[in-house]
Amino acid sequence: MEEKAFIQELLNPKTQNQAFQKLLSEYQRPLYHHIRNIVLNHDDADDVLQNTFVKVFRYLKDFKGESKLFSWMYRIATNEAITFINQKAKRNGMTSEALQSKIVDNLKADDYFDGNEIQLKLQKAIVLLPEKQQLVFKMKYFEEIKYEDMSEILGTSVGALKASYHHAVKKIEKYMTTD
Amino acid sequence: MKEFRLDENEKITSGFSVPEPYFDDFQSKLTGRLADKETKVRSLFSHKKAWFFAAAAVLIIALCIPILTQNSISSREIDKATLETYLSYNANLSDDDIVELLDEKDLQKIKIDLSIEDKDIEDILSTNANLEEYLIN
Repeated sequence: MEEKAFIQELLNPKTQNQAFQKLLSEYQRPLYHHIRNIVLNHDDADDVLQNTFVKVFRYLKDFKGESKLFSWMYRIATNEAITFINQKAKRNGMTSEALQSKIVDNLKADDYFDGNEIQLKLQKAIVLLPEKQQLVFKMKYFEEIKYEDMSEILGTSVGALKASYHHAVKKIEKYMTTD
Repeated sequence: MKEFRLDENEKITSGFSVPEPYFDDFQSKLTGRLADKETKVRSLFSHKKAWFFAAAAVLIIALCIPILTQNSISSREIDKATLETYLSYNANLSDDDIVELLDEKDLQKIKIDLSIEDKDIEDILSTNANLEEYLIN
């Protein structure tokens, strides 16, 4: 179905419920994993995913269709996740980098992390990267999002994204080799 | 030591897992939250109403300012009786002090007030029993 027609179904009170169910079934899993990769913890990811869909539902009428619905939703999810992690860090009196390092250090004790040593080491390598490189690496490596879509979501050129990913990979490989 | 290469190794997943019924329950949880949000929009004390009441309060206060100012000015004025009583019993003013405060017009008026008829002088002199004593001394 054409995206514009689907948006009209979402806005029409008669077709709204069915259209929203379809939107959820299509996007709840990929958006959850996208958010989870940023906030790292399941309960936090659940909160942020709910906030994301509440905002999508509330601002859908203002959606101009200048970008794809998919990238618009990912943009909301990314902003919500980053805002959440910054606020949580502020509440705990630390920087967001320090908070993420602390969460990664405690991943072994997390009920919803069943990664092996390599997976844990990769998470520790990622958390050392600058914020933008972390985001680009996670979206490309774990979520396999195309550079063109990522460019629309993050508002960054494809060239800059490729450079970020390249730098991230080099740093991660160095960490995985030596540490 | 062999160099680690991401593209040469088997794909490493994030390692994050999700509680089993999470995605099945998510829709009902979200629907409940959206319904809550919609109810909250109908709050009796909306921001618009708060601004309306605030504007009304400011307007009422603004309208009261001239009345309050007028009252406070009039209450500062001292009525003549109070002033007279104060000057009679408390003020440490000599006649010269009072004369200094009066202008020419006031002084003329006082002179007129004080003009005494000959007849009045005669009456005072004839009725005053102590007059002779004063004249002798």
